[in-house]
Amino acid sequence: MAPGIFYHDDPAWSDVEPIPQEDGEHPLAAIAYTDEYSEAMSYLRAVMAQNEYSERGLELTEHIINMNPAHYTVWLYRSKTLEEIGADLHAEIKWLNPTALKHLKNYQIWHHRQIIVNKLDSSEGEADFIATMLEQDNKNYHVWSYRQWLVKRFGLFSKPEELQWVEGMIEEDVRNNSAWNHRWFIVMGGRDGKELPEAILKRELDYAKYAIRKAPQNQSPWNYLRGIVRYAKLPLSVLKAFTLEFADLARPDEVFSSHALDTLADIYAEENSQKEEAKKALDLLATKYDPIRANYWNYRKKLLDQPEAVS
Amino acid sequence: MSALAGQDQELPQPPPPPRPTLQEVTAAEDRIEELSDSEWESQDSEAQDSDTMATPKITPSEYVRSVTIPIQDKLATGTTEVQDETLEAVLPFLQGNPNDFELNMFGLPTLRKEAHIKFLKHALGRYPSNFAAMDAARPWLLYWSLQGLTALGHDVSEYGERVVSTFAPFQHPTGGFGGGHGQLPHLACSYAATLSLIIVGTPSAYDSINRRTMWHYLGRMKQPDGGFTMCPGGEEDTRGAFIALVIISLLNLPLDLPPDAPARKTGLTTFLDHLGDWIGRCQTFEGGISAAPGNEAHGAYAFCALGCLSIMGAPASTFNKYLDMPRLLHWMTARQSAPEGGFHGRTNKLVDGCYSHWIGGCWPLVEAAGYTNIWNRNALARYILAAAQFKKGGLVDKPGKRPDAYHTCYNLAGLSAAQWRFAYDGGVEVEGEVGKGDLGAAFCWRVEGEWEDQRVWGEGDTVRVVHPVFVVPWGKAEEARRYFEEKEGF
Repeated sequence: MAPGIFYHDDPAWSDVEPIPQEDGEHPLAAIAYTDEYSEAMSYLRAVMAQNEYSERGLELTEHIINMNPAHYTVWLYRSKTLEEIGADLHAEIKWLNPTALKHLKNYQIWHHRQIIVNKLDSSEGEADFIATMLEQDNKNYHVWSYRQWLVKRFGLFSKPEELQWVEGMIEEDVRNNSAWNHRWFIVMGGRDGKELPEAILKRELDYAKYAIRKAPQNQSPWNYLRGIVRYAKLPLSVLKAFTLEFADLARPDEVFSSHALDTLADIYAEENSQKEEAKKALDLLATKYDPIRANYWNYRKKLLDQPEAVS
Repeated sequence: MSALAGQDQELPQPPPPPRPTLQEVTAAEDRIEELSDSEWESQDSEAQDSDTMATPKITPSEYVRSVTIPIQDKLATGTTEVQDETLEAVLPFLQGNPNDFELNMFGLPTLRKEAHIKFLKHALGRYPSNFAAMDAARPWLLYWSLQGLTALGHDVSEYGERVVSTFAPFQHPTGGFGGGHGQLPHLACSYAATLSLIIVGTPSAYDSINRRTMWHYLGRMKQPDGGFTMCPGGEEDTRGAFIALVIISLLNLPLDLPPDAPARKTGLTTFLDHLGDWIGRCQTFEGGISAAPGNEAHGAYAFCALGCLSIMGAPASTFNKYLDMPRLLHWMTARQSAPEGGFHGRTNKLVDGCYSHWIGGCWPLVEAAGYTNIWNRNALARYILAAAQFKKGGLVDKPGKRPDAYHTCYNLAGLSAAQWRFAYDGGVEVEGEVGKGDLGAAFCWRVEGEWEDQRVWGEGDTVRVVHPVFVVPWGKAEEARRYFEEKEGF
């Protein structure tokens, strides 16, 4: 439809009786829609009421999405229409790409994409497109969640390219927690708690340590490192020598990472004879290295005196 | 980010009218200068005249130093770049008073209730055409505004009838509410509509909800794995689980799945089947809770998960049963930004006033499970009062951002979490109380009083109690539940 020409003048729509928006008297938070938006929505209500699934309905949804991409109803109706009329889903993806780039934070687009790609039964091109999206916003929650869906749906957990890609994301910003979470997802997520092969365990421990050495005051790889140790059911003491590189109670003025101190406290807490050392580490956190969380560090200290509670 | 609303940050932040011009915003930023400690003290001396409490003196700059982590890595990345920018925007507000707000006896800006009330009343008014992107989020605009107004002590009964008539065409014939007339039903809209109507709290507001069709609608959202989708064929995440239980519990709906619920075909019979386990699967290796199994731990989804468990049963029992609490506490604690004092939603992300509620609001829930006095209430209150109040009213993500109803509502809800102490009376049978039937756990809360230890807010800066689970004014959830308990059938 040419711009400026409304549906009521369009012969292709002459059979449809639009349903204007019912708003009641004195509605709250009412929006003074443009005539164009208001009319398009009136026609959408009408075709939806008729359960009409058609090409023109598809065009109507495109028109409305361009004016308001955050309209879940329009997206749901669009995906139902695509299904009913057996539309070309490759064409849909082609149209979605620039639309997603234009509305970076919109999340309805991602769920819609998931429905389409699921039906296409192929992940081809998806990884590249996701990479393009993340170049604009590298912590976008919906994009990362979509990537996780993709990995699961198409069984990409052990695909070397997936690991390489996420490693590249971490290289680019070692503090990108979304990337760390994705690494966890592909390495551990497909395992259902099954034991980690020795080589992978070593690779992951080494990788997290390598990342910590780049920037020790970065919590992401510390969480990852400790997560792996826990997954592998190893004692935390396997991290003792490494942790001491960044925080050593013998040198309380030379602490390079509050997260190391936190880990050290837990390492000492695991050993019954070392509880005083654990307390010292927690004291350092509470009074000097992470004072905003003093209540928490003091709480952890109290736990040390309760024999049954192991943090 | 407005995760619960399912609308991400890209929504044109709704700066309700009157809209500050760009010039006004930049002019305000120009005035942001750091006050020296001596200037602060001279301002403070006036405020101190009325101060009868002997508060240990600490200047704002000393305070900031006292909560700063004295370690900084040299390596710069995208994350540190935006973090540095954020700190640059926030620090002047923690160290001084760039907006020339009136100060309380602790030298912090007072809570500017009148300005925020005015702002939220505007947010209930008419929006220009460029707000079309909010067309599916109007239920939220009503809820955020009404909830914010009540937290500020403003009587919203003047809006009662209009709230009911506004939502009437939003209700879908097949059950649940959509974002407007003719829109498909959605759990987010159903949540915002239900809470708004419960805030109004009149029989006509209660009766305007079709509970029978709502029950059927919720039944269609239940999934074989235990979770809930946000709409038919929509995403399954912890929001869905929380919202479904909030609605069932408040409206006192049957806990059995309706006969037409698709999940019955896989052997499920009640709304609670597999639910706790599904929530447990959302706890990540970091200890936090994500939208759905495998995703990144995130504050807003964590609140929804804990809220859901708080409705399923006494927090002390459900939290410990389905979650690894030491790891959850470790993750939640780490979400408080230092030195900002406000919260961020994910590891290595930026402070944002909305997490005052999404993370701040998790704390009363875990305290009810027995994990008390672990977080820093005063640092959060300081962030909200000093850095999250917009000059002309309304509250913000962070200094330099525009206010909107969303950030106003959730900063104020977070302030309630910081200012009030709750007790959980689960298991105590009180004759005649509400919540005796199914999903009654969230009606066992009691307000113990205000937090006092080293508090930084004056009497005028206290907000009304916000219910820790339902996020409505204290008392409103109980009133609604009583009304529906006394009703026979649907």
